[in-house]
Amino acid sequence: MSTSLAGLLALGIGYLVLLMCCAQAVERGWIPTRLIHHPAVYTLALGVYASAWAIYGSVEFAASAGYGYLAYYLGVAGAFLLGPVMLMPIQRMTRTYQLASLADLFVFRFRSRWVGTLITLVTLLAVLPLLALQIQTLGEAVHLLTQAASPSLLALLFCLLIAGLALAFGARHTHQQARHDTLIAVIAVESLVKLAAMLTLGGIALYGIFNGPADLQAWLDGPGLAMQARTDQLDSGQWRTLLLLFFAAAFLMPHMFHMVFIETPSRRALLQTSWSLPLYLLLMALPIPLILWGTQRLGIDTTTSGIAYLAFALSESPWVDSLVFLAGLAAASGTMILIALSLAGMILNHVVLIAHPPDNRPDLYRWLLWLRRALILAVILSGWLFYRTIGIKHDLATLGLAAFVGMAQCLPGMLAVLYWPGANRKGMVSGLAVGCAIWLLGLWLPLLAGYPALVILPPGLESLEGTPGWYAIALISLSSNILVFILVSLITPTSEGERAAAEACSVEAVVHPKRHTLAAKNGEDVKRHLAQALGADVAEREVTNALEALNLSPLDGRPYALRRLRDRLQANLSGLMGPAVARDIVDRFLPYQQDYHATSDIHFVESRLEAYRTRLTGLARELDGLRRYHRRTLAQLPIGLCAFGEDRELLMWNDALARLSDIEGSSVIGARCESLPSPWADLLGRMIDSAHPHLYKRAINLTGELRYLSLHKAMLAAEGDDRGGTVILVEDHSEMKWLEDELVHAERLASIGRLAAGVAHEIGNPITGISSLAQNLRYDTDDPGLHETADQIQQLTERVSSIVSSLVGFAHSGRHPQGSHTTRVNLHQLCEEALHLIRLARSGQDIVYSNRCPPELEIDGNAQRLVQVLVNLIGNARDASQPGGQVEIDAWSCEEGVRVCVTDDGHGIDASIRDHLFEPFTTTKAPGQGTGLGLPLVYNIIREHHGHIQIDSPPPDRTHGTRITVWLPRTQQDGEDSDAPDFDR
Amino acid sequence: MYVYRIMLFLVFGGYLLSPMLMNGWALPGTAWYRPFLIWGGLIALTVWLEQKRKLDEH
Repeated sequence: MSTSLAGLLALGIGYLVLLMCCAQAVERGWIPTRLIHHPAVYTLALGVYASAWAIYGSVEFAASAGYGYLAYYLGVAGAFLLGPVMLMPIQRMTRTYQLASLADLFVFRFRSRWVGTLITLVTLLAVLPLLALQIQTLGEAVHLLTQAASPSLLALLFCLLIAGLALAFGARHTHQQARHDTLIAVIAVESLVKLAAMLTLGGIALYGIFNGPADLQAWLDGPGLAMQARTDQLDSGQWRTLLLLFFAAAFLMPHMFHMVFIETPSRRALLQTSWSLPLYLLLMALPIPLILWGTQRLGIDTTTSGIAYLAFALSESPWVDSLVFLAGLAAASGTMILIALSLAGMILNHVVLIAHPPDNRPDLYRWLLWLRRALILAVILSGWLFYRTIGIKHDLATLGLAAFVGMAQCLPGMLAVLYWPGANRKGMVSGLAVGCAIWLLGLWLPLLAGYPALVILPPGLESLEGTPGWYAIALISLSSNILVFILVSLITPTSEGERAAAEACSVEAVVHPKRHTLAAKNGEDVKRHLAQALGADVAEREVTNALEALNLSPLDGRPYALRRLRDRLQANLSGLMGPAVARDIVDRFLPYQQDYHATSDIHFVESRLEAYRTRLTGLARELDGLRRYHRRTLAQLPIGLCAFGEDRELLMWNDALARLSDIEGSSVIGARCESLPSPWADLLGRMIDSAHPHLYKRAINLTGELRYLSLHKAMLAAEGDDRGGTVILVEDHSEMKWLEDELVHAERLASIGRLAAGVAHEIGNPITGISSLAQNLRYDTDDPGLHETADQIQQLTERVSSIVSSLVGFAHSGRHPQGSHTTRVNLHQLCEEALHLIRLARSGQDIVYSNRCPPELEIDGNAQRLVQVLVNLIGNARDASQPGGQVEIDAWSCEEGVRVCVTDDGHGIDASIRDHLFEPFTTTKAPGQGTGLGLPLVYNIIREHHGHIQIDSPPPDRTHGTRITVWLPRTQQDGEDSDAPDFDR
Repeated sequence: MYVYRIMLFLVFGGYLLSPMLMNGWALPGTAWYRPFLIWGGLIALTVWLEQKRKLDEH
């Protein structure tokens, strides 16, 4: 087993360069984003869990504990099976509050920066043996293959290369919460490489050493049976403890926490890992016993030291050796890169920034980036140092189990974060301290000193005597941790902040924050406040990013919007500097107003409930269904509705009010009443303050139109509930007001009509007398001057008679019972009759009239009144026409009726009076020429005949002139309502 | 959500009963791939539960 050192180095370096090329391909967009975001790629990236332990350590473990090695895979599979109930809530929390690590999560939940420091130190101590394990496999593999004298120096070379990759992939952004597509893709490639290598090695064992599965089974039942009998089977306690340790490692180990919660592409992808990751691990686990049995079949002693590297003995071929080496390198490098990235972030946020807060640092982003880079390098070099001084003396199982037992000390705290709101900081810290003390004294320090695990059994646990050290220490430390945690939490009081954070973290609870008001007035003001801590440039960038993410304007001064902005800023700064420093900065520079009574933020609670909807079950789901129903009822109420909290903050603005006001609810909800757009601020403010619950027909100008609104309010105060306020109904009574005005107008017109009829009747007799006297005057004298005077008197009296007859006709319109004179009438004849009457007049003699009505067209109607209609329409057309003009009368059958058109080529009708033509006394003629009663009369007659009338001026097919179209039903039915479409008005 | 309860039951039930399974795997004469077969069965069950969960939530 001797390969050239240069060849092996070239292989290792070549592989790492290949990863770099892969990263470049992702960075340059050569690989489609859809592929990188595919759940399968994420599953492969989660395969980072299969570290060097899965390649070498599992073989070592399988050689001593048989199928017990499966605990490493089944423990993590169990954790992912619980993804929806355990991993999803944590992922949601980390996403919502921008928590980048386990320490961030604990700081957020237990409200103490020192908790973060403690968790970081515990993680560092636990992870060092795991890092050393990875590095040891690299060094040992190189040593085995090349017999090189200094494996530790070669391991250092690989460490530096891996650190370079970590800096290239994961330390480009200052925000730790940023997803790294490159990192995901590279880790996925690494997982693919180690899976392919392991399956190939398993295939070599199964088909190269054995002759397939049947031969393997025969060997196991025959010669191999004795070898298998030599393995120590784990007892049920040890097996369960191992499962628990690996279950905890699935989400507590910093690299796994990072990959599971920070790099998640989507909820769907995380849920899919509940089966896809166990499948990946099954494929990774399958070759392990095949490799072991294959080497046993070859007669290699599997009880000596170095059995972790048995895979190298599967074949003499250098290709197989290279494959094993590549699998180990892929597994170790992926784990080391992710551990370095996540641990560097934890140390930065919870140790460095706590010791040196970045107050008003001008180059904050650069400073943070370089600090992270230095820490990444430091973490990897610390791993190498631990391996060089301590790890080199221990086997893989000892190192790995020391790490897993240490990390499992955070499990009680993590479970409490999710499921025990009663847990408090003192309890968690006490439990963790006791558990870690036992772990450090029993496993970690003996590791340093090179001694076996130090187990001091308390009374009652004598049955653990003789069991492996890791098992006894894990049991005692975890039991003590949990016991102390529970006892101290129950005994000591929990702070208000912790209680609020516990509610935010609890799986079942919904956050109900208070409606505080910020001292800052708007986004611009927030920038000024924050600049004191972060410097003007960083504050500008952070606030702008937060505003863009929330889709808010910098000038938005709504308290609700400012609260969301503050939360988002805290979350973003948490991703940059950790939750402790972020909270400190936000509390100091963006404080809430103190002298203020805060109540629940109902709107925010509702938006959260909407997001949680699919997770509710049973009674909660029913209640949520009812809540949504009532909410919908209010939102879709056809009357405007708005609700204000006691602090005059707008909580609801329903759809009808949005339509009426032309203001979207989303743009005003959360605003104070005073800051609503005009005229709502004044109107609603007065209504809230008013002692009267009703305000009727208040005239307000809305978007340039006068509207009449009635407002009604009710107070929402209820006993035992702090959610008081005012609900206001806004009714638009504009149309009713217009109808009322129209009624008054119509009544006035009717009075004028009655007056006119009376006057006409009274004037009629004297006018007849004057006309007779004028005629007598003509006969009594031969004086031409007097003749002319008599003619003028007669003309004027005719004119007065015409006016009087129009007035009487209009006043009498509507009094003709429908059907009383209805006969079958011929339209052509009616038209001729009307034209005859028109031609009798002296004016309009030079106008050309064309009667184009078909002679056979007949309808039911009152002939006399229809002639009156035609005379009026043709007369108007004549008056509008120029000398020599043409007036055409057309008629044709249409669906269920007849259309009659009177078209002229005159001056047309001005648009400003077109809508009022059917109102009495509206005329286009010069004063003294028209009474303004002709068209109203026509309108009334047409309505009596259940027809309708339409005016086109100019007609669609002409550039000038007017066309009046009358539609009349072909038959009239008795008692028919006048319900023809009224599109003419 | 009811699917989640089945998953919880499956994981904790499996955790408690797994030593019995492990003893069964080690018995002489047992097919070497039996643990992996059981594991594969569990994965298939999880895929089915995942599909049910999706239907439940839609």
